[in-house]
Parts: sequence; C-alpha cells; structure tokens
Amino acid sequence: MIGGYMGKVLEVDLNSKQVKKYALPHHMLELYVGNKGLGARLLYDLLPPATDPLSEKNVFIVTTAPLTGSGAPSSNRFNITTKSPLTGTIVNSNCGGDFGIHLKKAGYDALIITGKADRPVYLNIDGENVSIEDAAELWGLDTQKTQEKLPPKTGKIVIGPAGENLVKYASVISEERVAGRGGVGAVMGSKNLKAVVARGDQKVRVAHEEKFKEICKKWRELARQHPATGEELPRYGTAVFVNKCNATFTLPTRNYRYGTFSEADAVSGETLAEKYLVKNIGCRGCPIACGRLVEFKGKKIKGPEYETVGLLGPNIMNADLMAIIEFNYLADLLGLDTISLGNTLGFVMEAGEKGLIKTNLAFGKIDGISQAIEDIAYRRGFGDEMAEGVRYLSQKYGGEEFAIHVKGLEIASYEPRGAVGQGLGYAIASRGGCHIGGGYAIYLEANGPITVDPLTPLGKPGLVVLNQTTMEAVSSLGCCIFTVYMFLPRQLLELNARSPFASKLIRGTFLYGGNLIGRALSLPAWTLPVKPPFIMLPQVWAHVYCTGQRFTLGRLMELGKRVVNMDRIFNLREGLTARDDTLPARLTEELQRSEEPNSRVPLDKMLPKYYHFRGWSRDGVPKAKTLRTLRIDPQQSHPAAAVSSESATTGS
Amino acid sequence: MVEVRLYASMRAAAGEKRFFTDASSVKELLQQAEGRYGKEFAARLKVATILVNGKNIAHLKWRRTRLQDGDVVSIFPPLAGG
Repeated sequence: MIGGYMGKVLEVDLNSKQVKKYALPHHMLELYVGNKGLGARLLYDLLPPATDPLSEKNVFIVTTAPLTGSGAPSSNRFNITTKSPLTGTIVNSNCGGDFGIHLKKAGYDALIITGKADRPVYLNIDGENVSIEDAAELWGLDTQKTQEKLPPKTGKIVIGPAGENLVKYASVISEERVAGRGGVGAVMGSKNLKAVVARGDQKVRVAHEEKFKEICKKWRELARQHPATGEELPRYGTAVFVNKCNATFTLPTRNYRYGTFSEADAVSGETLAEKYLVKNIGCRGCPIACGRLVEFKGKKIKGPEYETVGLLGPNIMNADLMAIIEFNYLADLLGLDTISLGNTLGFVMEAGEKGLIKTNLAFGKIDGISQAIEDIAYRRGFGDEMAEGVRYLSQKYGGEEFAIHVKGLEIASYEPRGAVGQGLGYAIASRGGCHIGGGYAIYLEANGPITVDPLTPLGKPGLVVLNQTTMEAVSSLGCCIFTVYMFLPRQLLELNARSPFASKLIRGTFLYGGNLIGRALSLPAWTLPVKPPFIMLPQVWAHVYCTGQRFTLGRLMELGKRVVNMDRIFNLREGLTARDDTLPARLTEELQRSEEPNSRVPLDKMLPKYYHFRGWSRDGVPKAKTLRTLRIDPQQSHPAAAVSSESATTGS
Repeated sequence: MVEVRLYASMRAAAGEKRFFTDASSVKELLQQAEGRYGKEFAARLKVATILVNGKNIAHLKWRRTRLQDGDVVSIFPPLAGG
C-alpha cells in the first residue's frame, strides 16, 4: 500500500442502509492523489449525468489526502465534493476542521454518501462499525449545539438550520472551521443527514518516517520564518488584506460598484487585532494559526476571515467591525456561506435602491441584517427568495448587470477591475466565482509583495494557468492553500525590494514569461523530472516521504492540470458551455474609475488564450489529445474493483 | 504635504498609523521614515511594498518616483491571507 493512505473507502447508501467498503485502484490514487483531485474523479464516476443536486441521487463525497493526519504542517484538510445546488456544477469545498483526521483514524481515505434517509439521521463511524442514528433531537439545532450534543473526541461535520432548509448556499461546519461554498450543506440537508461523526484508533503509515519528520520540521521553520506566513498572517489574520485591497482598488464596495472604501481601516485585520483579538486559533497542526478568537458579548467566539469582512463590511457599506463579528457568528451558527450571503445582501440593497425589489435593507444600515440572515436560514418571508442566491434574484427581479456571480456562485471578496487576471480566474473557475479555483492571480497583480501590472491582459492567461495548476495540485496533496505563499521565498522578496533590476526581471518573468510558462505547462511530466526547490514547494517533499512514491515538479503540474480538466469535463457533461465562462456586465463593461480607462476586465482578450494553453478547443472543450496526455479516461465507471457489502446498524 | 499610511507590522514597528511629510521623492520619504522610526522599521522596509496613490513604485520610477502635494504613500509588509 502507498504510504499515507488507509487503504479503503466507505460508501453508505441512506436509502437501503447498505454499507460498502472497498479499496480504490492503485492507478486512481496515483493519478488523482486526494482531496480535490480524488473527489472530482469519484464524483464523475459515481454521479448519474443531469442529476438534480437536491435529489437523493446526488452523491456527497468527503475525501482526504495522504498528508491528512500525517503530522505534516498545514495539511490536515479534507474536501467535500458534490454537485452544487447553487450552480449545477461540480463543487469542491475544502475545510480545515479535524473531521479528515478522524475519518482516517477510523480507517478510511474517503466517505461516499448516496440516497436519502426517511427521517433526520446522523452517520456514526466508529472504525469498522458504521451505524445510522436517529437525529430527531438534533434537527433544528444550530451548528454549535449540534456538535456539543454529538459524542466528544470525535471528528464531526454538521449542518445548521440553513442546510436543513435547503438554503442554496448552506455550509458544512467542522469544529469552528467551515466548508462554505456552493451549498454543500444543502446537499446534506436534502439527504436528511444532520451530521457525520468519525472516530478510530488507526495511525497514518508514513513510508519514510525519519526523513518525513525531518522535512516537516524544516517546513514548519520555513513557514515561521517567512514574513507573510510567519508574522503578518498570525499577527493580523486573513483580514490583513482589507487595507491592502483597499489601497489597490480591489476591495469590493457597495455591491462591487467601487474598489475602495473610505472606512476600510475600521474593519481591517489591524483593527481586529488591536480591539477584539483574544488569541490566535488555527487548524490542527498548523504553525500559521491565522484564525481569530475574539470577544463578543462576554463570549469567546471565532472572528471573521477576510472574505467575510469584505462582503459583510465594505460590500454593504458597513464600517462596524463588531456588527461583522456578530453577522459572521450568526451565519456560522445557522450554517450559511458568508461570501454568498454578503453578495446576496449587497444585490438586494442595490436592487432596492433601483426600485426593483421592495426591501428595508439599505447600504450602510446594519439594522435588519441579523433578522435577514435568520429569515434566509429559516426561509421566512423574502428570506425564502434570498436563500436562492443572487442569480435567482436577478433573473426574477432584474438587475443581471449588477448580479455579482459566475455560473451562479457569488464572487469572492476581490474586485477584479483592479486586477484583471483575477477576473479571468473567476470566469473559468469550475465551481463559479471562486478566487482560489480561479488561480488567485490577484496575489501577483495587486495584493502580494511582487506584482505585475494589474490592469493589462498581457501575460495573464499564462499566469492564471500557472497559478491555478499549482494551487489545484497543492490542494489535492491535502495542504492548505496558504502553504503556497512560500512559493515567493523571503530571499526573493528581499531581492525584489533591494534591486530595481532584479525586480524588473522577476516581474518580467511573471508577466512577459506568463505565456511562455502557459505553453511550457502543456508539456508532459517527464520534461520536468526534478523535485521543485524545497524553499518554494516543501509540500512536494513531504508528499514524497509520506507516500514513498516518486513525485516530481512535472508530476505536480500534471496533477494540477488533471484536476482542472476533470472538473471541466464534469461541468461539460452537466450541460455547461463556454458561454458560462463569463462575468457580470458591471465587471466587463462599467469602468471602476472614470479616470482609468483600463479599469474593467477585458475578458475577451484573455479567455481564448487561456483555452489554448489548457489544450482546449475554442469552445472550451478539452481536446482528446489533452485528456490522453493527462491519462484522463472520459468513460464513467465505478471505481471499486472488489466491493464488500454489509448493512449498517440503525440506532433508535 | 504627502500622507504616508503604514499598515500591519509596519504600523506596529512605527507605533503610529500615518505621518505627513514634505519629501519630494520616495527615496527621501523612506530616509525620513527610517530616521523617524529606527532600526526595526528600517529592517522591515527591506521586504516592504510601497504604493503611491495605489500604484506599486515598481511600476513607477522605483525610489526615484517624485511626490507631489496631496499624494498618498502606502507602506505594506509582505502579506498573505484570502
């Protein structure tokens, strides 16, 4: 068996209560590795095409990766993959809660849930014993109370009332961490599945233990020594980006009408740290600890992340940080994605101003927002319609030009008219308007320490291909995306700041070399038969010593490309086309700043090149040669070679 | 006057959020800031990002970028988040 894997998958059908346990084929693990990659392949193989996402036929998949639970830093992630009720696309929602660690301790690399229970239940996985338990007493409880009522010292994923009520952007919670995007909580709710609990006493077997420990120690030191992950992120949390985005015209303000907010500092990471921070919290085993524990009405609760601050702050013209803390807390208790929530509120406020919707919600007014959040979660009154998201509201009431979503997924908290490569990323991300799935080009355009011209389309398709490929691969290895920040090591940052010539060279490589890099990435894996530099990509080294497999820079890039293409062929099978790779008119047609003629996203100049670099046709369809090179079999087939089947026990 | 805004650990090292200066170039401004805030601040400047009116000086004339009355200079350490 390959190191890092537990060797089997658990599949539970809530209709028949049948439990299957089986090993995944070796080649599948080799090709798709774990988390996002493995989830994409499993969903493609297991889901009948054109399935209604909220029907019992939808498949809910939790995957882990070899590094999950291995002791590697910042790598205890698990991933939820399903068909999104919000977008109709594949959705991968990644989470840093401890459920993945416990699922592996129970002996499973992945959990697959099909069918629908005839009443509210929770799934109890205790090593080999799997039972379906009655959840009547849990149904209706918030995510915190639900976790408190479930057995202690276990890994848990739970939904709140929003998931039960099939809110299209309901989240799944594990500890205080969130798998937020795309309505994964609604899929659990549609199956009458309130929670999953996992526990066990198995250990993750690492192939080369001594070398693995040594490399993880060095990796931790590297993370601590890096100025971004070692100092700024722990000190100020992710909301440290508020002021930087504000300074670079990329902070969404007033439903993405503007890119700056005059009161940004009042809701910044600096203010959060100064006024409300009690202490840092983090995912288990993470040396960064970017989470915030804050004081709220005498309680110590989780503080908001950057995305939440941006969308429940400047995007609705709210400069009250305590109110954002409260809205975030409420959304987490009810199980709502704060990115979609903030966008939905912003859209309703603007539609209200324009007379398209009758509402008491208004920009800059925080009264009524808590009530609106509850109304959405419980689908009361107009909240029932807000629970469907921005796309639904704009199609019903008008205002599609300022409905800030892609493929139905509300856009993250980066205004792409201040960083146009990020705009391309939003347009092509498989789950819709996602900053991470779209390659997060903004880090090399506006908010990172080394940036190219943010408003030119030149070189951006190549840059997006490079970033997206790397991030999809790192995510599939089980690592937090924040580990990618070390890709720009301290030495490079110092060189960039010290020497104008070096800076020009580095930036020129990213910008003018972007397209060259894009082309280079279409080469097969054997052309890059080396391990990447440890100081840039330590994840690869940890993966090698954990699994005992040979893994090169070429293999890493191939993995990332494979994941992107796997997602793509899933979405195409579900009926999406290149026409869905688009942005709202506000972002492509309206100038963000009248004095800056390039402050809109020239998507038409970037998209064809992106398709080309990906090895896709002009219609955005992966060519047969591309799939063949990446060893992607477009045939759908059940992944299990041999399946052992048994019945789950049922609780009272 | 030119307004200089400090963020994250640059703010912590300086002990204040902003200052005003009549410096005519970024180079002069940074020399003033180093003198004003001392060694720790100067050390952090080695990896800092400097924006003039929202534009990275790397896209302007680097430290020779001229400053005018009313300009806003923002100084950030390397950040991560998202």
